[in-house]
Amino acid sequence: MTSSSASSRKALSKIACNRLQKELLEWQVNPPAGFKHKVSDSLQRWVVEVIGAPGTLYTNEKYQLQVDFPEHYPMEAPQVIFLHPAPLHPHIYSNGHICLDILYDSWSPAMTVSSVCISILSMLSSSTVKQRPPDNDRYVKNCRNGRSPKETRWWFHDDKV
Amino acid sequence: MLPCASFRLLGSFESERSRKVGGSVMAPVPASVARQAEILKQDGNSYFSKNRLGAAIDAYTEAITLCPDVAVYWTNRALCYMKRKEWDRVEEDCTSALHLDSHSVKAHYMMGHAMLERHDYSGGIKQLQKALELGRGAKPSSYIVEEIWQVLSKAKYLEWEDMSSKRASELQKLKETCEKALLNFYAIEDSQDGTEEVADERLQQLQYLEEVFTKVGEDDRPKDVPDYLCCQISLDIFRDPVITPSGITYERAVLLDHLQKVGKFDPVTRVPLEQHQLVPNLAVKEAVQSFLNRHGWAYKMS
Repeated sequence: MTSSSASSRKALSKIACNRLQKELLEWQVNPPAGFKHKVSDSLQRWVVEVIGAPGTLYTNEKYQLQVDFPEHYPMEAPQVIFLHPAPLHPHIYSNGHICLDILYDSWSPAMTVSSVCISILSMLSSSTVKQRPPDNDRYVKNCRNGRSPKETRWWFHDDKV
Repeated sequence: MLPCASFRLLGSFESERSRKVGGSVMAPVPASVARQAEILKQDGNSYFSKNRLGAAIDAYTEAITLCPDVAVYWTNRALCYMKRKEWDRVEEDCTSALHLDSHSVKAHYMMGHAMLERHDYSGGIKQLQKALELGRGAKPSSYIVEEIWQVLSKAKYLEWEDMSSKRASELQKLKETCEKALLNFYAIEDSQDGTEEVADERLQQLQYLEEVFTKVGEDDRPKDVPDYLCCQISLDIFRDPVITPSGITYERAVLLDHLQKVGKFDPVTRVPLEQHQLVPNLAVKEAVQSFLNRHGWAYKMS
């Protein structure tokens, strides 16, 4: 789904590179619980494995997050999506796009990959039903051309789920 | 007869130049001459921007010949020499510029850079620190301040590398000597008596000796810089820390970038924030300096 955004991506700035190296180092020493960074030679695209927290609807289920960093990270949010198959969740579309405010309007450069991952896991953990968002089909159809979720004008549903 | 006259004219300027650069009397230059020199400088600048360094150097040299008391002509020529890595010439021109204007950020900066090239770390560091101080005073977020900082921290790192390896080899020598001396001493004692208790005690002493030397070398062993000395956005050790009304400290340049590009709020607390509310955090700045003085390896930048 991200082919177009991947090909048009600009290389990381020096500041972005420096910060991501530090984040990766910190992750290796002190990874967030429930996550595993998959080894790759790219600093600009991380693939992270998530394991559903015990005692939740997603217990022991494994999913993969793909994190792409823009040139001016952390002054811009990373693009975070679930790789296929995405978990069934009221805020996760079947194409892997995640409706979570901190990934878009509410991003802050004080957040890290690690803190974003923890937010996503907590979003999963607090879910009470395994179902797609009500507008899933329409949204996914609109994204067929490979649009990035960062281009979506999100309308954040609620904080309850 | 004309060539001869013009030759004399040039000669007289030459002697005037050496007199002025010596730093004493400054005879005023006629306005027409100053104007011509200014035109030559502009020529030099345009050659420089096209990377025609030889032509730029010639233009600046002519400007200097006409008006040797303008520091900028010297620093501009020094910049050409710097690009060509002709470090001796960089130093000469910067020395002249500093005689004319001791507050020239560029002259201190290039001078420091040139001194580092010939491995004069302490001299180069002094010049760079002066440049940083002057540059921050004028424009804290300008590109040159960042550039000076990069060169300065690299110099500090090299200096530390140099000194720490000397310290390490001296310590190693001392440690070996101490061990040998202790063993010799035990040997002399042995001729009198040798119980098992004594043997245990000796083993422990040798172990303590090892620990003592490990402790002494600790400052020079790279580890993590404590989080409270690092900006939460850049994750780097602070250089110019500022504190927000929420009590969070950030690297000034990085936070300004955030306010401009992301939004006018504190990145951690999300409380509304304006640039004029930022205050330098001098305590943290001092803490960083004292950490760096003890642990020169922390100057290493990726």
